[in-house]
Amino acid sequence: MSAVAPDAGRVPGGRSGEPQTLAAPAGLISDILAITGRAIRGILREPELFIFALIIPVFFFVVQIGALGDVAEQQLGISNYATFQLPISILFAAASTSGGNALVLDIAGGYWDKLSLTPAHRSSLVIGNLFGEMFAVLGYSVVLLLFGFAIGVRFAANPVIGSLGLLALTLLFGIGFASVSIAVALATGSVRATQSTFIIFFPLLFLTPSALPRDLMTGWFEKAVSINPMTYVVEAARSFLFGYDGAVIAKGFLAAALFSALTFALTALAFRRRVRMG
Amino acid sequence: MSAIQATDLVRRFGEVEAVRGVSLEVAESEIYGFLGPNGAGKSTIVRILTTLLQPTSGSGSVLGHDVVKEPTTVRRLIGVALQEAGLDPKQTGRELLTLQGKLYGLKGKILTDQVAEVTELVGLADAIDRRIQTFSGGMKRRLDLASALLHRPRVLFLDEPTTGLDPLSRALIWDRIRELRERFGATIFLTTQYLEEADELADRVAIIDHGRIVRQGTPAALKAEVGADVIDVAVEEREVGAAREAITDLQTRGELPEGELRGTRAGYTLFVPDGPQNLAVLIRGLDKAGVRFGAVSVSRPTLDDVFLAATGGRMAAADADGESEDGQGQDREPAGSGRRAS
Repeated sequence: MSAVAPDAGRVPGGRSGEPQTLAAPAGLISDILAITGRAIRGILREPELFIFALIIPVFFFVVQIGALGDVAEQQLGISNYATFQLPISILFAAASTSGGNALVLDIAGGYWDKLSLTPAHRSSLVIGNLFGEMFAVLGYSVVLLLFGFAIGVRFAANPVIGSLGLLALTLLFGIGFASVSIAVALATGSVRATQSTFIIFFPLLFLTPSALPRDLMTGWFEKAVSINPMTYVVEAARSFLFGYDGAVIAKGFLAAALFSALTFALTALAFRRRVRMG
Repeated sequence: MSAIQATDLVRRFGEVEAVRGVSLEVAESEIYGFLGPNGAGKSTIVRILTTLLQPTSGSGSVLGHDVVKEPTTVRRLIGVALQEAGLDPKQTGRELLTLQGKLYGLKGKILTDQVAEVTELVGLADAIDRRIQTFSGGMKRRLDLASALLHRPRVLFLDEPTTGLDPLSRALIWDRIRELRERFGATIFLTTQYLEEADELADRVAIIDHGRIVRQGTPAALKAEVGADVIDVAVEEREVGAAREAITDLQTRGELPEGELRGTRAGYTLFVPDGPQNLAVLIRGLDKAGVRFGAVSVSRPTLDDVFLAATGGRMAAADADGESEDGQGQDREPAGSGRRAS
């Protein structure tokens, strides 16, 4: 994209010899990098939000271990309940990022218009924001992993490969959740509507083997859990800690990829609508 | 080739027709003032001509490039400062300008030079490394203006650049607007609800009311169209009937010429030749009829009077019952405050 001669993309200001503007096509990648950089800067400037976003996952993590840890380890044969719970806590944090928040504030505040007036690819405005959110998800995940290590979580196999695998899965899954929020931000331009999208993660994350393994479940709950694609993400995430089961991990990535593809398609629709409506 | 052209622009929002068939043409290097009260359709037209909004029908172009069919080309040619300076409060001024420059494809030394140049131009050199959330309203407007200038646009759209600003900031922005045209030959499309602003800056003015252009021309030509002096008489509400009677009485008796008489919120405005002479007649007449009156003034016609003659309402009055397309509840001084008293 940047391989063209410096002047090749210049806008002819009408007839040749007329004064021209300094504007030139920057290219999609350059646009995305610029917007991503700004999104990350915004996240780093509000560390308090970062900390708030970690409070609930940490709280659930600690409470679950306190409430069920002994029972699970002594009665249900789960070797280490903290290890069993850590992926839930990380996915929980990834799902609660509310990726559209920064975007909807831009829309409500008029900065979206300002950026839309530049010749940048408009899709970069959305993708850059999404990448910024993934930076936050990465941050939450690393903090929670370190916290887990500190309280005794251990990987059954190689912890480096396990951590990287878990992070990759979490990012893929996080894109899915952030896309929902971004789609709502683009479709409504409403701060409140965007903030309330986190509600969808209750059914999606709690109708999973979050507290107990699936083989201990019965009845309608077991059925609901089995048809929830997030179940497979949770099981794959655990598999990175409890030794690798290739089939489980593959299913998890597939479920996360399908979910993200679906929600990203929604974002694309909402984006087109906003660009068209102005 | 004209810098800006619009042909029969119409924009509906549901039932509301915000713009009802606007055609205009702006020459290169011209400062074109777009004058009207809140809700008249100014911002909607700016949003269409700057590619943010598509027209329901009609077409627009900038330097020959269609705003709907070639939006990216148009965006490279124009610089825009919208009425609501939407700026990210978490970034510093320099970060905002640098990001903006990158999105216009500027890089390296050109980018840093341009950021320094526009910062200097709007007088923000001391504050540019502070976060925007610490900026005052006037500083934000200036930063927004700076960001609109970064890539040396050929056509500049300024949507109410001075609304809500203190007189000092306003004067600075006026100076910069003139300088831009002189130094770079930029074409400037300026919307305003301040008559004195249009009068001061614009080569030509269009007056827009309820989505239509009602008058267009140089400020001098528009004022000459009114063709008379303007006498304003303020009367209290309960005296309105009596005042009207007294004035028409004077006219029928031939003591006052048959000029146009219009009621305004504050009293009556009379368009008559030879204002100073007739003022004395008017005051004597009102006094004799026992009408209590307040401030009385006679002046040469202003753009507000052109507006009044064209639409039957004062800018300030139209503002009050305008459908508030872009009303933001900012502190606004009455639009007629720039009137010269004599």
